[in-house]
Amino acid sequence: MRTDALAPSTRAFRGLGAFLWTEVLVQAHEELAMATSMLVQAVLLVFVWILAPALIGVALVGAILYSTFTMGQRVLNEAAYVRIDHKANDLYLASPLSPESYFVGMAAGILLVYLPPVVILGLLAAVVIHFTVAQGLLLLALAGVVWLFSASVGYVFSTFFRDNRAIWAYSSLFFNVFGVLPPVFYPFRLFPAALHPVALLMPPSAAAALAQMSLGVTPLTSGDVALAVGGLVAETAAVFLFAIYWARRTVRGP
Amino acid sequence: MTDLVALRSEELRKVYRSKGAPPTEALAGVSLEVRRGERVALLGRNGAGKTTFLKIASTLLRPTSGRIEVFGFDVDETPEKARPYIAVVPQEGKPFFHLTPREQVYTYLRARGLGRENAKARTEDALEKMGLTEVANRLSITLSGGQRQRAMVATVIATEAPLLFLDEPTIGMDPFARRAVWEAIRVLTRHGSTILLTTHYLDEAEALSHRLYVIERGEVLVSGTADDLKRSVGGTVKVLLPGGAARVESFRSFGSCVLDGDALTVIVTPERLGELMELAVRSKLLATVGPVTLEEAFLRVVGRSIDEN
Repeated sequence: MRTDALAPSTRAFRGLGAFLWTEVLVQAHEELAMATSMLVQAVLLVFVWILAPALIGVALVGAILYSTFTMGQRVLNEAAYVRIDHKANDLYLASPLSPESYFVGMAAGILLVYLPPVVILGLLAAVVIHFTVAQGLLLLALAGVVWLFSASVGYVFSTFFRDNRAIWAYSSLFFNVFGVLPPVFYPFRLFPAALHPVALLMPPSAAAALAQMSLGVTPLTSGDVALAVGGLVAETAAVFLFAIYWARRTVRGP
Repeated sequence: MTDLVALRSEELRKVYRSKGAPPTEALAGVSLEVRRGERVALLGRNGAGKTTFLKIASTLLRPTSGRIEVFGFDVDETPEKARPYIAVVPQEGKPFFHLTPREQVYTYLRARGLGRENAKARTEDALEKMGLTEVANRLSITLSGGQRQRAMVATVIATEAPLLFLDEPTIGMDPFARRAVWEAIRVLTRHGSTILLTTHYLDEAEALSHRLYVIERGEVLVSGTADDLKRSVGGTVKVLLPGGAARVESFRSFGSCVLDGDALTVIVTPERLGELMELAVRSKLLATVGPVTLEEAFLRVVGRSIDEN
């Protein structure tokens, strides 16, 4: 019996780096998908540029956050595709690779491959807005939190489907409704005041509101900030931890 | 003698429940044992419970009751301890279409924790064994179905894991590729690995497995070697008598008789073959003599069970 494959597999993120690299290779072979990942953002930016050029800075920040948010849709589609169409998840999950590494590796691999266009948006935003290092770091942190939230939601949702056709409709609806309708691409103050708490509890718009506040575009009360930060952190932590639990739980069927 | 056992299940049951449908009992108390270094086949009709058993054994499904161990580890209680010992070719599994076979095998080995050099060497070895060297750098999406299946098998045999679960591993492969898989599997067991496979190719089961279990409706009907199974149907020789259907009563005393149109097939022991042939000649019937195949034995064993139910 070979013993080199028999190291204990109880480490939570065993095999993460290797599976992340696997996903990077898989995604990197799909150049067209990389290009189309910026389609909605590009169209909206053009609209804003034409209709309200003064808001282009806000729209660029929104495009960055929307880009990291829609990576969750890619995680959803990829996890479901690999499970339903390829059944390759069984290959990986019945191995020393931990279930959490499978989920995080897939999400992080997608992030790495789809990051370059987001970086370009960031550079554009830096040129247009002239933000400070602190503002840039805050935007980076917010984008990271939004990614973690949406990737976790995407992975969990992927386990509920048995048919890829159903996924296309639902995932597109979910990520576009929560990424475009709330004040992500436009100033938070333009959103109906009665719905501010709702927007502040939705991670993409909460992150956008905080980013806009730091840039001086949107004034927020301390209560608003507390709600946005608290909601963002609590929801992301809860969803991420649930996704880890769910990744372990669903290895062995529903 | 636990240390000689790679896999053992005791009274394993699995009941699927879904809303609006009656519960389905996929496994109704399967007890079996696979010793280290053995190649064992699970045979059964579609829906007999083979894949459910393999999924539970490979930590991908929880049993409803019963117990199953892999190398002494309780698969249900501590799946993470069993996983380093196993590798699975899933039924209808496909490699990542946007990886090349070389990338597929190598990255899988790395994800299992193998070092770079070791993974690289095993990747090349597995690709060569599966006849994939020439297409090793082509994306799997450009490969034929058989080549993709070979890439899946290469990925798993490259692990050299102590226990391999192969769920219909050669489906869609040409006869040459199937034999390449068989040889790779034999080499693995010579090096100490254990194989549990399902297949609908009875020649494959016969060529590959030391022992086999026939499963029907979630229960083990028969177990033993292929020869045991063939003997269980009353003989190891079959005699095909075209036009013999009309005289079936004359031949019943020799063994089991099967009618197919106007043809009669009689299963007989080698000791009574001469006597049967004399009767065939006297009856002016042509006779074709051959060994009982595993497929015939399987059809008879499972068919008998279906009749009884």
